[in-house]
Amino acid sequence: MMRGLWDRETVALILLSALMPLALTWLWFGGTQAALRLVLALVVSGLWHMIFMLARAQPPSFAGAIAALAVAMLAPEELGLIRLILGISFGTVMGELVFGGWGRNVVNPATVTLAFLGFGFPAAPWPDLELPVAWAAIPAAAIGAVAGVMSARLLAGAGVVTLLAVTLGADLDRVLPAAGIVLVLLVADPVASASTALGRWLNGVVYAALVVMFSLEWQGAAPLQAAVSAALLASLAAPVLDEAAIALWLVRRKGRHGRI
Amino acid sequence: MLCPPGGDLRVDDVASEGTLLAQGAPVVRLREHPGTALVAPMAGRVARVVLRPGRRLAEIVLFREAGGDRHRHEAPGSASSEAHMRRLMHSAGLWIRLQRRPFGRLPPPDERPAAIFAMAADTRPMAPDPRLALQGREEDLARGLSALARLTDGPVLLCQQAGPALVENGIADGRVTIVTIGPRHPQGLPGLRIHDLRPAGIDMPVWDIHAEDAADLGALLATGLLPETRLVSVAGTAMDESLLVRCQPGADMRGLSHGHVRPGPHVLMAGSPLDGREAHWLGPRDRQVTVRPRARTARPHWFIQALTRSSTQAPVIPTAALEQSVGGAFPAAAMIRALASGDDETAMKLGVLSLLEEDLALADYVIGGAPGLSTLLRRMLDRIETEYAA
Repeated sequence: MMRGLWDRETVALILLSALMPLALTWLWFGGTQAALRLVLALVVSGLWHMIFMLARAQPPSFAGAIAALAVAMLAPEELGLIRLILGISFGTVMGELVFGGWGRNVVNPATVTLAFLGFGFPAAPWPDLELPVAWAAIPAAAIGAVAGVMSARLLAGAGVVTLLAVTLGADLDRVLPAAGIVLVLLVADPVASASTALGRWLNGVVYAALVVMFSLEWQGAAPLQAAVSAALLASLAAPVLDEAAIALWLVRRKGRHGRI
Repeated sequence: MLCPPGGDLRVDDVASEGTLLAQGAPVVRLREHPGTALVAPMAGRVARVVLRPGRRLAEIVLFREAGGDRHRHEAPGSASSEAHMRRLMHSAGLWIRLQRRPFGRLPPPDERPAAIFAMAADTRPMAPDPRLALQGREEDLARGLSALARLTDGPVLLCQQAGPALVENGIADGRVTIVTIGPRHPQGLPGLRIHDLRPAGIDMPVWDIHAEDAADLGALLATGLLPETRLVSVAGTAMDESLLVRCQPGADMRGLSHGHVRPGPHVLMAGSPLDGREAHWLGPRDRQVTVRPRARTARPHWFIQALTRSSTQAPVIPTAALEQSVGGAFPAAAMIRALASGDDETAMKLGVLSLLEEDLALADYVIGGAPGLSTLLRRMLDRIETEYAA
């Protein structure tokens, strides 16, 4: 049988390789500490995938590595081993695996982990990512968009709103690097984002608008915290945006053909 | 050789084995519509008739007789009545070259569709160029299209690729319209064009026919003789060279590929590499033979199997590739979700009634065939059909 290559695992691998510029730059600047966090996240996430494979015959996915990378990069610091393991487990299991694995989840498991850790342990400081890491998000997004595993529309939607906000005089210097990294790592996930053309534009717009709003109005929030919260809300809104886009498509179609 | 379109045809009046038949002479009649005949694609002797229980046609094999006759149908000229023309299409075996949406079966004999799509473009990989097939047959095509226009109250849409118009735009009192479509697959699939231009509904059937068959109708109306051949491409990775042949409908695919196949086991498929099915004979609507090396099916390593096999199907990730595989005609992810969850109502809203298996063949290929969208679609269409028939 002849087969194309866009099945779930290839998409996960392409996504993973698109994120490589980001991951490698982060490892370069983070050193051993970063590598250890990544290994921990990979092991915990991999363990849960293994458990679900054995208990529920649910095939494991390379997407677990993407979530682990995002958690390792973005999770609050000084949490201690137990809390970090707890957070990763919660995100992997409740965010992804109970729904049936990557592709059936509603929210990116890393977003769930980060929101859980961020809101559960508000005293823990969010990491400050080096600026070059944020620059590396640009090639990552470019590779993802060219390969078609990240939505160019979503990225463009976010970009347009950011540009608009900057031209209108919003001071986003502090939040932009974090927002860019979160956009590529969490928001542009093809599963947790909108799936229609218009929905993707809106998804990017909503995320960027939330980031702008949080950075202007949310006093005392770390840039990363604002970005992760925006990502969580944006991916929760994604199904509604899709629904709206499809409803609009149906109305236009009805107008053209006189019926559905 | 004849084999049934769509699989399940109950037949009567089967020509007995050993009968000598002229080209275009009726071989069997359909039990449900006794006026509809399948005709001999060439002058020959009936060699074998295989019927499954319930007089369901499996296959009829003819041996060619050199110097055989051609059956002359009563040619009513192009000014005949609609009833007359329908009768001619039924008796000359042209009816089975029509395809009806929704559900993709043979249209009922007296149905008036909402539109007829004549496909003069075929974007499937390695498909023969319909423009080549229609070279020098413009008059027949125009006559055939005008005739088709009488079968419907709606338009007849001739889908062709960019280039000189195959017929004058607006013949038959402006009922025949030319639609220019893009050169990339799946832009030339009738289902996606129908979905886009004239979506089919339960009570809004839309037919599609290959433009070459429309030209055959034109020739039949003019001369009373059914044209003998069609343009067929024989290609694939197991062929030394790709061939473009003119042969009779229902030809033996082994015969067509003979002498050009690379050594080693191979598979013959009627249809394109994407939507073809393994077969021995070409079907009434097939214009493509795909010859592929038979892949060795080695069992994967037990560990790989444990990692990849599961009780539930792997989900489809909405990527740009998936969107392009349906030509952006409808929200692909939403449609796949509706198909996989059996949500008939949503799928019908999204336009599933205009689609057939071939329209999702590319999507199936692109996503690695994991959930088998074509199978899901067929299951859904069958379910909708029984629900609405009741």
